[in-house]
Amino acid sequence: MKTLNIVGPGAVDLADRLVARLDGRVATVETLPETAARDTDASAAYGLSTDGSWIGAGDGETLDGLLDSLTPDYDVALTVGFADARLPTVAVADAEAAGEIRHTVAEAVEAALDPILDVVDDLEPRITLESLVRRAKASPQADRSGAIATFTGRVRVKDGEDDTPTTHLEFEKYEDVAADRMRTIRSDLEARDGVFEVLMHHRTGVIGEGEDIVFVVVLAGHREEAFDTVEDGINRLKDEVPIFKKESTTDEEFWIHEKA
Amino acid sequence: MQWKLFADLAEVAGDREIRVDVGPGATVGDALDALFEAQPALRDRVLNDSGAVADHINVLRNGENVGADDGLETTLVEGDELALFPPVSGGR
Repeated sequence: MKTLNIVGPGAVDLADRLVARLDGRVATVETLPETAARDTDASAAYGLSTDGSWIGAGDGETLDGLLDSLTPDYDVALTVGFADARLPTVAVADAEAAGEIRHTVAEAVEAALDPILDVVDDLEPRITLESLVRRAKASPQADRSGAIATFTGRVRVKDGEDDTPTTHLEFEKYEDVAADRMRTIRSDLEARDGVFEVLMHHRTGVIGEGEDIVFVVVLAGHREEAFDTVEDGINRLKDEVPIFKKESTTDEEFWIHEKA
Repeated sequence: MQWKLFADLAEVAGDREIRVDVGPGATVGDALDALFEAQPALRDRVLNDSGAVADHINVLRNGENVGADDGLETTLVEGDELALFPPVSGGR
């Protein structure tokens, strides 16, 4: 799922115009000026019709959490008016944004959409474990598969009780070579008997404590090859793919290999 | 030729891309020497005590490791992409 944020006067109108031109399933998330009212004490209230249409209201949600939950099901999410979100952003007029402004338009109603569609094309997709599992399940060989094994690498805060806490990690990738090597690993593993799909994703940039970093998902006939392959997948990724990790603790920051 | 640098090597050099004045026909070793000329601080990070490329340093030409000794003798051609980086951060 690609995510694009739109900020500035008329952002909602610009989002509406874009929805008509975007391919695939699109979700929009608009900022609400005040608490979402609902007529129940329940933490969340949904309505679901037999035709599959639904409405919902709840509390305790964050933009990141919401986008993660949308990721497996939608191709594009347009967030509207989230000026503080660190998301790729299209700005209307001189609106400011915390995220990287990829394109600016003077106003919303007449703005040319093609340049914005180009921005969407170039966006890195948002990936979650569930979105990879969903893709694996969509495999042409899914009906031969009785097992899905997954691995999630995440930012460990402490390696022992007295360890200085890690606040965040930063990952740098040698882009094309990394993609190439991941492709090689995936095709080697998919060549194994009974292994149907191997999916991998490693995030780059700054990743905070407790957040997910890397996913390996294996769709296989049986659990034995699923377990073996997911283990081999992550081990080979860590051995062979040019990705570099810098750790920041409450005391210092250092590249991981420097401490080895 | 252009060197792509990563991690602490990029930090020491102050840049992720360093252009060196070495052309097709020269060797990878020539390009590396030129890199050290441009960024002397890299020498200590890349070379071991005997003046050879340290075991843990990766020298890549077009995404492939050039290998320890012979590798540096590899002749460069137009459009080659060179990269230098420390061990990939597997982590435990």
